[in-house]
Amino acid sequence: MPYLNTLQDTKLSKLHHLDIAYIAVLLPLLLIIKAPMLLFMGAVLALLLLRKESTPLLMTLMTALGIFAIFLSSYGSFNFAGLSRLKLFLELLIYILIFAVSLQRLTREINFYLLLSPLLILALSLFFFHSVVMLGYVIVEIFILLWVILSFRMQGSFQETFKMAGSMFAFSLPWVIVLFIFFPRISFEHASYGFKGEGERRMGHDGTMFLDNNALLVPSNKIVMEIGFQEKMPPSNQLYFRGSILYLDKKDHWEPMPLFIHRNYSQGYTDIEESIAYKVTLYPTLKRWLYMLDMPQVAPKVDNHKVSIDVDFITTTQKNIDETIHYLATSALKYSINTNIDKNTLNIALSVDTTSNPKSWEVAQKIQEQYTEPKRRADAIIELFKQSNLTYTLKPKALDLNNSTDSFLFDKKLGYCVHFASAFVNMARMSGIPARVVTGYKANPSNGIQNYLVIKEKDAHAWAELLIDNRWTRYETTAWASSMDSQAQELLDQQSNTQTSQLNLYMMYVKYQIETWILHYSHFRQLQLLDKARKDPLFIAQLVGTLLVILLLSFMLWRYFRQPLCHDKLICLMQPLLEKLQKEGYKRADRETMHQFLLRCHYEHNKETKEIDRLYQVIRYGGDNSPQTFEKLQGIVKRFK
Amino acid sequence: MKFLLKLIQTHRRVRQGGTRYSALVVVMLFGFFLEAYMHNFNLVYITLFFVFAIAYVAGPLGLYNIGELEAKFAPRGRLFANTKGELYFAITNNSKTPAWAISLHVNTLSSEVGRIEGKETKEAPITITLPKRGEAKEDECYLQSFFPLSTVRFVLPIEGGYDTLVYPQPQGIPLRSFLQKQAMHFGEEKDFDGLAPYSGAEPLSRIHWPSVAKGETSVKTFAHEQTTQELAFNFMDAGTNDEERLSQLCLWVLECEKSHQPFTIEMPNRFIQSKKESIDAILEYFARY
Repeated sequence: MPYLNTLQDTKLSKLHHLDIAYIAVLLPLLLIIKAPMLLFMGAVLALLLLRKESTPLLMTLMTALGIFAIFLSSYGSFNFAGLSRLKLFLELLIYILIFAVSLQRLTREINFYLLLSPLLILALSLFFFHSVVMLGYVIVEIFILLWVILSFRMQGSFQETFKMAGSMFAFSLPWVIVLFIFFPRISFEHASYGFKGEGERRMGHDGTMFLDNNALLVPSNKIVMEIGFQEKMPPSNQLYFRGSILYLDKKDHWEPMPLFIHRNYSQGYTDIEESIAYKVTLYPTLKRWLYMLDMPQVAPKVDNHKVSIDVDFITTTQKNIDETIHYLATSALKYSINTNIDKNTLNIALSVDTTSNPKSWEVAQKIQEQYTEPKRRADAIIELFKQSNLTYTLKPKALDLNNSTDSFLFDKKLGYCVHFASAFVNMARMSGIPARVVTGYKANPSNGIQNYLVIKEKDAHAWAELLIDNRWTRYETTAWASSMDSQAQELLDQQSNTQTSQLNLYMMYVKYQIETWILHYSHFRQLQLLDKARKDPLFIAQLVGTLLVILLLSFMLWRYFRQPLCHDKLICLMQPLLEKLQKEGYKRADRETMHQFLLRCHYEHNKETKEIDRLYQVIRYGGDNSPQTFEKLQGIVKRFK
Repeated sequence: MKFLLKLIQTHRRVRQGGTRYSALVVVMLFGFFLEAYMHNFNLVYITLFFVFAIAYVAGPLGLYNIGELEAKFAPRGRLFANTKGELYFAITNNSKTPAWAISLHVNTLSSEVGRIEGKETKEAPITITLPKRGEAKEDECYLQSFFPLSTVRFVLPIEGGYDTLVYPQPQGIPLRSFLQKQAMHFGEEKDFDGLAPYSGAEPLSRIHWPSVAKGETSVKTFAHEQTTQELAFNFMDAGTNDEERLSQLCLWVLECEKSHQPFTIEMPNRFIQSKKESIDAILEYFARY
């Protein structure tokens, strides 16, 4: 409390007001300013704290230091061509602005440009940040700047100026919301620079799948993707996000189709019964794959990336994804497809090393002889998997990589998705069914709320696709494990609902909604709203209702902040009594003393008002400021009817 | 609703004008708009909308801040021509909340009033120098406020401005010197004591004319002298022109008031006696002469 009182009584000078504004706007820029410039700022701060006079020598020294800091900070980045790049240009502009402001601040003289600079710095800083955190900070920043202006203009106490800033802020909120929703946008591309936040990349598929110790197994909770379905989330068995397709079995790992193989292979939808649209936020993977729900329809548009979709419905970008990207995707859930597989692809999808895996070969040959239809053969392989007592484990024993399928199916019987998928594809090929491995992500619905889904690194998955009736069909190979070891079970339990993870998920959901509806709000979203309003009149009513509620809330806030402060403790204490008496028709006149007023009220409330009057006089004029007397008066005022 | 009604009423009373900060807001809005539009930066859009909304909200708040004030000229003290004086205005805040950053303006002159508490009246002075005696009237009196953001200048005209009387500038020979010259010393024949050299300050009645005829200028001295009880000023003797005379008389009147000395003034058409008229009435007569 003493600190609050000190704060309340502190009267800030014009320079101090400016300093607060500068601190507020410079804080986020500290994340992007280079070390030499930071040192220069540190030196200026030290001089200000030491209250050094700005002598010509000092100013010359600081000017030289500033120019040197700008030179070092931009060394290697700038040339004449570099200046044409907005990011570098903006950086240079910020350095020059900080340099000029620092020198001016050292002189302790305020000019118009010094007053203007916090706003300029704020505007420039907005080029570099686009996160939810920055959104919160920008709002705080605007409030601080507003408070600084008001505090300077009003010359009032901290509490008064803070309340006034709150009142203005509350009053302006509905306008901001209405403008934000309805102000027309053009969806230009987002600039591709700015503060990238954590530089850590997510695990992404690199087009290979290892069966040995390099196997892809990342039991990490790091989020790879966030999905926002436009409608209801599809069921769990449809939440497969395609990464890469692997055709070649290299014993210890699987590889995609080599580029040199000429493929005359085409696939195309003949009919789409059910499709789903969704928005993907993909965090940096430093890989080229975009993950789309089985089966992708068209290549999505991604800002600053060229995206292509190949014949196997694998979506890739031309350059690695080194920053968070957002794309709108559409996938077919129920469809008819026309697959014209070429000879080369077919050969590779059937290729199998006949010298290895003798046991599997023998079983596969029997299945092939027994069943003619590929579907029946696949069912027989599934039956074999089911009867093999395979255990799903995250720590499998090392397989014999020369005979990995034999080793997995008949010897070790332990593995996770990659081992299951690899063995199944090999068995299918041995039985004469064209098959391939697909890697990607299998989303866990427990990581979702309503139409929002989080995909984590530990959701990385591999499954198989078999060409049955001239159509690639997905097989979830881990589904045939007879049991699961404790560690894998623990991992699954982690996924399911502990309170912390649920809370975390809700926070992610809120963050995602803010990102979707605020940070990435665009022309597209406006059209979506318009479309919804056209179709659903109730939506318009809801929207108008919400806006009215916001208006009401902001008005209440404004009223609350506009309430005059009670400076006199005794008058504050008497306030409820005055209000009660006013309701009864007794209003205290402007220049009427409390004694005169209470005398007027004696007629009806003789006993109480007499005692109140007495205590009031004792405190006001008798010098009795004891807490007991205050409490006594407060008690009577409270009980007054 | 009450607030809105009040606002509409106030809007008619209060003049509003732009400042250089309003130009700054416009430039800022344009800059933010370009920044936001080019890259669809929603953070910039939000900032843009906040700047717009806050600047917009500043209008009604500033209006409400000054609109609840009532000011009127509160005559107090005396004002003399060409002399610094203070004009007082009583400013009443009818709102429950304080009014902030108020300044008082009379023509080009201004004075900071600052904050006026809710339901309170504050008397605010403004220092002024009026060049001429007589009635002074000025309608261009107003309260001004840049609250809350300095983006709008709110001006509340003070109805009636000020209408006051300016007395002549008190200047001329101080009363002491006048008294030396003018003191009506006289003595009886029997008390004649002798002659003394003329110092230049003695009145003509004391000059010993026979000695003047002999070529010496002497004055008569008496053993017993009586001083006139009342100061008698003559308008015509007080200066070379009317303004000078009025200024001189004004100075003497004020000095007499200070030393509680009664006086009379022989005006061309009037005889003023301080015992019969108040000093203010005498000064007013001078002011209106």
